[in-house]
Amino acid sequence: MIDMLFLIGLAASAFRFATPILFASLGETIGQRAGVLNVGLEGIMLVGAFMGVLGAVWTGSPWGGLALAIIGGIAMAALHGLFCLVFRVDQILSGIALIVLGTGLSGFGYRLTLGAAGTPPKAPPFPRLEISGLTDLPVIGPILFQHQPMVYLGIAMAILLAWFLRHTTWGLEIRAVGENPAAADAAGIDVNRRRWAAVLFGGAMAAAGGCYLSVSQVGGFVENMVSGRGFIAIACVVFGQWRPLRVLCAALLFGAAEAAQIRLQLIAPNVPYQLFVMMPYVVAIAALVLAARSTRLPAALGKAFVR
Amino acid sequence: MDDGLNGRRLREAGALGLVVLAGLVAAALFVMLAGKDPLATFRVMLGYALGSGNGFAEVVVRAVPLCLAGLGVAVAFRCNVFNIGADGQIVVGAILAAAAVMAVPGLPGPLALAVFLACGIAGGAIYGGIAGWLRARFGVSEIIVTIMQNYIAIQFLTWMVRGPMQEAMGMFPRSDRLPDGAMLGLMVDGTRVHWGLALALAATLIVHVAMRHSSFGFQVGVVGRNPLVARFAGIADRRVVVLAMLASGGLAGLAGAVEIAGLHHRLQDDFAPGFGLLAIAVALLARLEPLAVPFSALLFGVLHVGSGAVQREIGLPFPVVWIFEAIVIFGCLGLGAVRARTVRAAA
Repeated sequence: MIDMLFLIGLAASAFRFATPILFASLGETIGQRAGVLNVGLEGIMLVGAFMGVLGAVWTGSPWGGLALAIIGGIAMAALHGLFCLVFRVDQILSGIALIVLGTGLSGFGYRLTLGAAGTPPKAPPFPRLEISGLTDLPVIGPILFQHQPMVYLGIAMAILLAWFLRHTTWGLEIRAVGENPAAADAAGIDVNRRRWAAVLFGGAMAAAGGCYLSVSQVGGFVENMVSGRGFIAIACVVFGQWRPLRVLCAALLFGAAEAAQIRLQLIAPNVPYQLFVMMPYVVAIAALVLAARSTRLPAALGKAFVR
Repeated sequence: MDDGLNGRRLREAGALGLVVLAGLVAAALFVMLAGKDPLATFRVMLGYALGSGNGFAEVVVRAVPLCLAGLGVAVAFRCNVFNIGADGQIVVGAILAAAAVMAVPGLPGPLALAVFLACGIAGGAIYGGIAGWLRARFGVSEIIVTIMQNYIAIQFLTWMVRGPMQEAMGMFPRSDRLPDGAMLGLMVDGTRVHWGLALALAATLIVHVAMRHSSFGFQVGVVGRNPLVARFAGIADRRVVVLAMLASGGLAGLAGAVEIAGLHHRLQDDFAPGFGLLAIAVALLARLEPLAVPFSALLFGVLHVGSGAVQREIGLPFPVVWIFEAIVIFGCLGLGAVRARTVRAAA
């Protein structure tokens, strides 16, 4: 029976650990489908994590935090758009600059505001969603029906984006500018406009993921707290083959790896805990190697469009 | 036509001035956001880092690992291989070097030092080589792999200095002092400037010659600009990618070993915080030119040491240094874009 409880706990927290990664990787999926690579997710998530806590403390509501985080994420993404789409610099280099900038902005901002006081104020967390009837179900109830709203929002976004890419004009256009921008342009689609939209959306999503991480999971901001999740999110996009529903599965896989890692530390106290902390990163590399054979990235990924 | 060339130079100089000005204004805005005086901040920064003997010595000390790792980044980036893993390679190089001299005690001085540095290079090269091989063999993004490797290496280090390699006293998360024979001595007495400086300058020359005057350097350049052309020209592009990552990681590993041998004299937690990310900025500012890397490393040394002084004297939070560095990177990118545009306009 303890095993059962253990597995239920593991599955439930896999959803929670997957959520920050899921948001970031769904945004990146849209960006990459439009042909814009953003390796700076890590920096945007850091800004989102910081602004989320700041906004939550200021407004007294986690939703206020989410709103401020999204504004911050869009501002960071706008910088990426400016350098990639207007100045047409190498997208990877601009992304690297975003990582450095996000590290600085979040650390600097934190020490000026929340971290200036002795004990940083705690951010009000998102309420847990209790659905009468469902939450009390055995096994499924604790796994699926007692999370915070952003967990469901993330899953809903994956389904929505899958439908959006496949069945709407905008979705088709976004795929078109990522596969063959010249043809899209000839068909009268404003390539860079679609790309701008995709980039800003990606920034908002990455920041929302960072906000969930700080406000919900940790309950506050810690410098460099994203610790590689931005890159794991990119790995999820590749492993999920640029399809939102598969990206959801990939994010859940990493969520499970992280949840398992923390539990294993407790089960096996004799094994150095650092070996367990390494696990998700090793899984990311392994997942990429596995996905490598069947990888087919958007044809115009990383290439600036010149008319 | 002469006039056109002059005009272009003038425009480029103007663009440089504009970018520098914009960068200074942006930096000043952040300083003001913290409620501090930007002019006083810049004065303290430059006054300590450049105006005092002690400060400048610290700048040089900081520039040594940045120069070595920056050279490594430059080699990889020239090959269009984005090695963001210098952090991990620095750590693995240092661990392997320290482990080697601890495993074989009693080596005579020069030999111990040679083993130490060679193992540093080997550790970084192997670690970087893994990412290069995964990219060449499976087409796996070296960006993600090298970053993941960074986190793995850092966890490995925190384990090592608390577990198998911890000091005999068992008090702090660090190793025992390494044998003196394996350590680099001071180059300038009364400062912390060690012989790693000479090593960094020698490495700069070697990388310059290798990139400019060897067939490997030529192949790196061709693969970097266009792997398809490289393949048609009979260059084994995948092999070049792996070799570039081996060299790049080796230089970063050397940076790690030198930092231990010259400065800390023992393995410890977090001995090179963020150096790998900094090394990217160093390489970009140098426009991937090996001979420019030491100067670029010095500039980032000034930024870093200066920001430390600013935190002590004015109370500006230290993470501002990352903002300054991001401004420098974006400035370099913006300048590159202007240059590309003037070239296009001329064509």
